[in-house]
Amino acid sequence: MVNFTVEEIRGLMDQAANIRNMSVIAHVDHGKSTLTDSLVQRAGIISSAKAGEQRFTDTRPDEQERGVTIKSTAISLYASLTDPEDMKDIPLKVEKNDFLINLIDSPGHVDFSSEVTAALRVTDGALVVVDTVEGVCVQTETVLRQALGERIKPVVIINKVDRALLELQVSKEDLYQNFSRVIESVNVVIATYYDKVLGDVQVYPDKGTIAFGSGLHGWAFTVRQFASRYAKKFGVDKNKMMSRLWGDNFFNPKTKKWTKTAEGGGERAFNQFVLDPIFRIFGAVMNFKKDEIPKLLEKLEIKLTNDEKDLEGKQLLKAIMRKFLPAADALLEMMILHLPSPVTAQKYRMETLYEGPHDDENAIGIRDCDPKGPLMLYVSKMVPTSDKGRFYAFGRVFSGTVRSGLKVRIQGPNYTPGKKEDLFVKAVQRTILMMGRYVEPIEDVPAGNILGLVGIDQFLLKSGTLTTSETAHNLKVMKFSVSPVVQRSVEVKNANDLPKLVEGLKRLSKSDPCVLTFISDSGEHVVAGAGELHLEICLKDLEEDHAGVPLRFSDPVVQYRETVGAKSSITALSKSPNKHNRLYMIAEPLAEEVCKEIEQGKIGPRDDFKVRARILADEYGWDVTDARKIWCFGPDTNGANLLVDQTKAVQYLNEIKDSVVSGFQWATKEGPVAEEPMRAIRFNVMDVTLHADAIHRGGGQIIPTSRRVLYAAALLAEPGLLEPVFLVEIQVPEQAMGGIYGVLTRRRGHVFEEAQRPGTPLFNIKAYLPVNESFGFNADLRSNTSGQAFPQSVFDHWQLLPGGSPLDPSTMPGKVVHDMRKRKGIKPEVPGVENYYDKL
Amino acid sequence: MLYLIGLGLADEKDITVKGLEIVKNAARVYLEAYTAILLVDKEKLEAFYGRPVTIADREMVESSSDDILADASNVDVAFLVVGDPFSATTHSDLVLRARELSIPVRSIPNASILTAIGATGLQLYNFGQTVSMVFFLENWKPSSFYDRIKENVSIGLHTLVLLDIKVKEQSLENMARGRKIYEPPRFMTVAQCAVQMLETEEERKEGVYGKDSLAVGVARIGAEDQKIVVGTLEQLAESDLGPPLHSLVLLGRRTHDLEREFLKEFAVGKETFDSVWKRDYEGKQ
Repeated sequence: MVNFTVEEIRGLMDQAANIRNMSVIAHVDHGKSTLTDSLVQRAGIISSAKAGEQRFTDTRPDEQERGVTIKSTAISLYASLTDPEDMKDIPLKVEKNDFLINLIDSPGHVDFSSEVTAALRVTDGALVVVDTVEGVCVQTETVLRQALGERIKPVVIINKVDRALLELQVSKEDLYQNFSRVIESVNVVIATYYDKVLGDVQVYPDKGTIAFGSGLHGWAFTVRQFASRYAKKFGVDKNKMMSRLWGDNFFNPKTKKWTKTAEGGGERAFNQFVLDPIFRIFGAVMNFKKDEIPKLLEKLEIKLTNDEKDLEGKQLLKAIMRKFLPAADALLEMMILHLPSPVTAQKYRMETLYEGPHDDENAIGIRDCDPKGPLMLYVSKMVPTSDKGRFYAFGRVFSGTVRSGLKVRIQGPNYTPGKKEDLFVKAVQRTILMMGRYVEPIEDVPAGNILGLVGIDQFLLKSGTLTTSETAHNLKVMKFSVSPVVQRSVEVKNANDLPKLVEGLKRLSKSDPCVLTFISDSGEHVVAGAGELHLEICLKDLEEDHAGVPLRFSDPVVQYRETVGAKSSITALSKSPNKHNRLYMIAEPLAEEVCKEIEQGKIGPRDDFKVRARILADEYGWDVTDARKIWCFGPDTNGANLLVDQTKAVQYLNEIKDSVVSGFQWATKEGPVAEEPMRAIRFNVMDVTLHADAIHRGGGQIIPTSRRVLYAAALLAEPGLLEPVFLVEIQVPEQAMGGIYGVLTRRRGHVFEEAQRPGTPLFNIKAYLPVNESFGFNADLRSNTSGQAFPQSVFDHWQLLPGGSPLDPSTMPGKVVHDMRKRKGIKPEVPGVENYYDKL
Repeated sequence: MLYLIGLGLADEKDITVKGLEIVKNAARVYLEAYTAILLVDKEKLEAFYGRPVTIADREMVESSSDDILADASNVDVAFLVVGDPFSATTHSDLVLRARELSIPVRSIPNASILTAIGATGLQLYNFGQTVSMVFFLENWKPSSFYDRIKENVSIGLHTLVLLDIKVKEQSLENMARGRKIYEPPRFMTVAQCAVQMLETEEERKEGVYGKDSLAVGVARIGAEDQKIVVGTLEQLAESDLGPPLHSLVLLGRRTHDLEREFLKEFAVGKETFDSVWKRDYEGKQ
């Protein structure tokens, strides 16, 4: 900590316009953490010598070992803009020229993308890192989509340019073409998820929203930097220069004329003015032309120390490039100029963040990023402390100021305003700054900043809202792009360790935004994760850290969903235990598009019902009256099953509604076929007859009855089983492609896209693969392609398990159901509809 | 033969002679113990009848009635119901099921709260629809009773309000998990009922009744320590009538002088009673 102190940072926190909250996102191995290090190096937390080798934000030993980021890590950096010219280009005018940058480095592996979601929530901008050679990959697209969904503005760095130069030895024009292709594919993704409020956020080098560089070597540049350089040198307008340094602008050095085509001997300005000096340095150093180097250095005004002059080859190259184009300069400039401050961002993010009315004091506090407003703080994840079993709550202040000792309302995800459920009123023990591996206590933190809190972990499971206002609604719960579809059960090797396992599972569930831990009906402890790797890491943490006792794990199994294939053949009827109440229902399939919208949180239980009805009617062909009478979503009140009231003039209906809803939540969580959650079913309440007296139609009578009638309706509607399917992206050289097809076919997978990467012998293959067939897939693939194929799998959709009815034990779905029921310790035969259906 | 036998309201001795004879000779004896309770425990009944009695809870009666009806076409089964078998609670479903199995059914009537409430001095001829008051939950406050009372009030009739009892109920969570863990028994008191009634009036604001409306609270009718208290709903909300079971009557405006004389004896505050009566009830049709 050389360059800044906590006091300095605290001083900056008050200048919300001088803050940038940003996440670094990318596909795995595109070089996020290494790039982040060069920023950290600039802010002075670790010595310059180690930057590029030490991954500062990879705080866990296994992260350092595997070279993969697993958890997202936050650091506060301090930077200043010295050039008054630069200050003019900042969209929102600021008083001072020093800036606070809160940066979150997040994992690139798809299995950990819930960490990305948590990081995006507390930031306003994103630095998207793309590998020059590999281009836009599946995770680049996923995280970009997530970012745009949260209204996060992107800037891009095209990374690993050194590889293109050293390994692939491309020409300047080839490199330019390569850059354009990558940029175009980034922009295609951005354009697909266009958001009217956020506006056009496509990225262009001549706007300064794209940088090029090498994280490993610690250098990077933007077109803007070169434009400023030449603007001074030639005395032309900088902005004019910028637009000429990209695209089809050619300069003929002989005639000193600019043209739009290469005809007449002009060379592309980008190649001539930007790439040329870089190519010259690379050429001179890597070909050991010792005499040329000093001349070049002088021309480019680079001064090396005596030690550095003695270096050779790559080390010398690194030293020169780092002096010539320091990565931190380019990145910091790009972030400060082009990413929004909290003041700017919260204006348009408020409506997507806040669940309450958009004109109450809390909404206004968020909109204005007001440090004097009511406290609105979102805790996005829990970070383990050195004190075992305790966590820092990590989050962002959107409104008001939080300080140590402040009494706050801790509202969990299930809190509803005016009720007492999922609500605690407790004091914040301490507020802290999180900086990579270190934490620093800080007295208070105003709106717009990211921080850690001590003493909140006991009251929140994973995430939630902290506020001082009694009227405050929740900040919207995060939706994850991955879901925990793979599960393994866990047991202790020594029976005495059981309490430790139980405690360990609690801790594990807190430390990861996406993992699920629960006890199955047969009494097994189950851990569910997004994929094999995610689960493996979770279980490792559980065994070595959270529980700290020897454990045994079962083979991984997949979660299924129960659904229906048709409308119930007859109206299902069930009578209450006292026979005085009768419920009539019908089940029918719910359209896949609607399910997706629900799962992505675009249609949800907390929407205004009229707006929701309009959307359902206009876009999905629902009847408006039906759409207005959606009683609830389930399971867990937000799943992709709907309960719709279609009754006409039933007395006392609203008195039993809550009971029917409870039964619905219960039934959709554990379906009739294999006690798996239901999905994509719409249940219609057709009619209800009730006892005249409230005592005889209480919850005890109605809840079990509604569950039974829902089961009956589902069993009468051609029940089916849905299995989760991965989208697998595989990069492979042409000669190894045959092996991939073989492996995929054996595992019920199929390829749906195959494309060669321009300029490389690599092919990019996209395939669908049932999750159930994915265990050991990576190893299988490697052995069949001599280790040349690199797959990335991410959950994509649910598909009907083919092969017949799950109720028939001789079919494949029937066998799956049979095994599942056996594993769960329930009787292996599926109970028939007569168990739930009562005759009139 | 299935016998449905009314036990009356208070203790073991309220059973009719005819009923007692059947109990003594029946092959099996069940005591329905969830819609109402007797003021004495099972042991006392067994001692008095001189034979064992099986407690039939809600689950048994509603879900496993076959056990109760087993072999009833050949032997006599006595099904004991507190109060009268077909009054405040009805066991018509059990009778229907017995009929399906061609089991003959006979019932032995007894006193019910519906008739015994006459002990308050209110004339049974002037009662309207009977309603029940259930325990309100935070998000479940059924108010349909309010509409029934409104209809009664509109033609000046009294309303008998029966109060919720929860003898052996699962919590919602336990029910969802299928765990047979039961909550401790709860019985609604006259005070709780008055509070909930006022809460509903506050909510609905249709002026069906108010704090000043006269009502009669009764407890343990038929027992030696039976208690009757008359007051405004506000006064009853503060009252304490002791152990269960409680019921409440909301007075209709169509009253008789004799009723006033009878009630005045039980009034919490005689002056309040007189003034409210004069203002709101006397001579109203």
